[in-house]
Amino acid sequence: MNNMKLLEVKELNKSFDNKEILKDVNFSLTKGKIVGLLGKNGAGKTTLIKLINDLLTPTSGEILVKGKKIGVETKKMISYLPERTYLNKQMKVSEVIEYFKDFYDDFDEKKAKKLLKDLDLDINEHLSKMSKGMQEKVQLVLVMSRKADLYILDEPLGGVDPATRDYILDTILSNFNEKASVIISTHLISDIERILDEVIFIDKGEIILQSDADKLRNKEKSSIDEVFRRMFKC
Amino acid sequence: MLVKLLKYDLKYMIKNMGIFYILSIFFAITTRILFNMDQSVMIKILGQISVGCMFSMIASTLINTMMRSWVRFRDSLYKDEAYLTHTLPVTKNDLYNSKFIQTLIFFIIGFIIILVSLFITYYSKENWAAITNYVRTITIGLNMSTAFFVTMFFIVAFLEIFNAIQCGFFGIILGHRRNNGKIAYSVLFGFIIYLVAQTIILGLVFIYGLFDPSVMKLFETATVNVNVDAFKTLAILSSVLYLVIIYLMSILCKKTLNKGVNIE
Repeated sequence: MNNMKLLEVKELNKSFDNKEILKDVNFSLTKGKIVGLLGKNGAGKTTLIKLINDLLTPTSGEILVKGKKIGVETKKMISYLPERTYLNKQMKVSEVIEYFKDFYDDFDEKKAKKLLKDLDLDINEHLSKMSKGMQEKVQLVLVMSRKADLYILDEPLGGVDPATRDYILDTILSNFNEKASVIISTHLISDIERILDEVIFIDKGEIILQSDADKLRNKEKSSIDEVFRRMFKC
Repeated sequence: MLVKLLKYDLKYMIKNMGIFYILSIFFAITTRILFNMDQSVMIKILGQISVGCMFSMIASTLINTMMRSWVRFRDSLYKDEAYLTHTLPVTKNDLYNSKFIQTLIFFIIGFIIILVSLFITYYSKENWAAITNYVRTITIGLNMSTAFFVTMFFIVAFLEIFNAIQCGFFGIILGHRRNNGKIAYSVLFGFIIYLVAQTIILGLVFIYGLFDPSVMKLFETATVNVNVDAFKTLAILSSVLYLVIIYLMSILCKKTLNKGVNIE
């Protein structure tokens, strides 16, 4: 049962105006893994993530989460952090917490409040008064305060300072349990390398490598960051 | 989940529309007070400014309800906020229904605010008598009761505006299925859908006219000197047709939305 596939992507294709963004993407994930989705800019990482989250419609192919097609049930299982700020700026942080509590049964309000306090974020502040970095932190707190089966974090470290990066990674680790998996898409490989169990390399819309992180390090006798730099050297 | 979605859609609208409602009523009250004071030149000027403000707030109430409904629809379903909207565990039908009901509620509130503002500003026994006499003159000419005439007037006006708003929703849905020029296509498709909907309604009235000579006369003569029953029939027929068109269009909107979105 532990090996039951949490996420299956089968022969997935996505095109915009005859331009192929993803080509025949196939991969699967099991529970209990932290997976790095790694690739250069424009490789198709965000497109793949958006397809899993029903923000894009596939040209062909299939995505299954715990055997279910993308829909209401899969959205209950996925906690997604996009690369941009997506909250209604007219709301206060406390109102956003209420919003998540209303829609997600697995949302842990106490945990959210604790994380906000740790990050020195005022619960009564309007999002419009916060900097982009602070809004991103609020979003991360909301996403990580759910007890989801699959966390998908698109560039979670992009807009934050190094000290907060460490806090975010520790939060991901402390939140992590054997029943869940985490997909992290990022360019900052050296920052996340220490927490990765698996890596998926994507280039020009194709999966070119999926491997256990330790096995890859042993095989290549170098860090994943170095492997990435070698593979994607311009 | 529809109730929860509606709760947040209504909160958004009240935050943005509340100020227009408050100002409409405020200027209606100030106008009323100023009109009842000793009419010095300065008071007259202030009264005219106040009444001008009241009418501009009334217009803003209607226009803003329409514009805000479209903006809310686009922002929530296709802009940055869509990253949250489409990842909520709710059906696309609920997403659409929530926006639809929110618009309906705020149009009713807008109509009520306008009527209340006008009532506060202008109500007096003489004005009321003048209005009722005027309406009665029309209704006697049209062989209708006053209640029927007023009710049908508001229903048809309401359905016509609501139909226009939903055409905008459908235009936004179709426009955002394109990869480029989404806003321009949304406006273009909105206009085309509105014209098509109006043409269908007119066509159906014409078909009905083939079986009812009094209605057909409306197509054949340029004067309004036709059988008054035709107006009564036309009011009921157009209300029913608008309801059918609004219902069918909402199904089409939801079907198109359910085909999936492509959020930038």
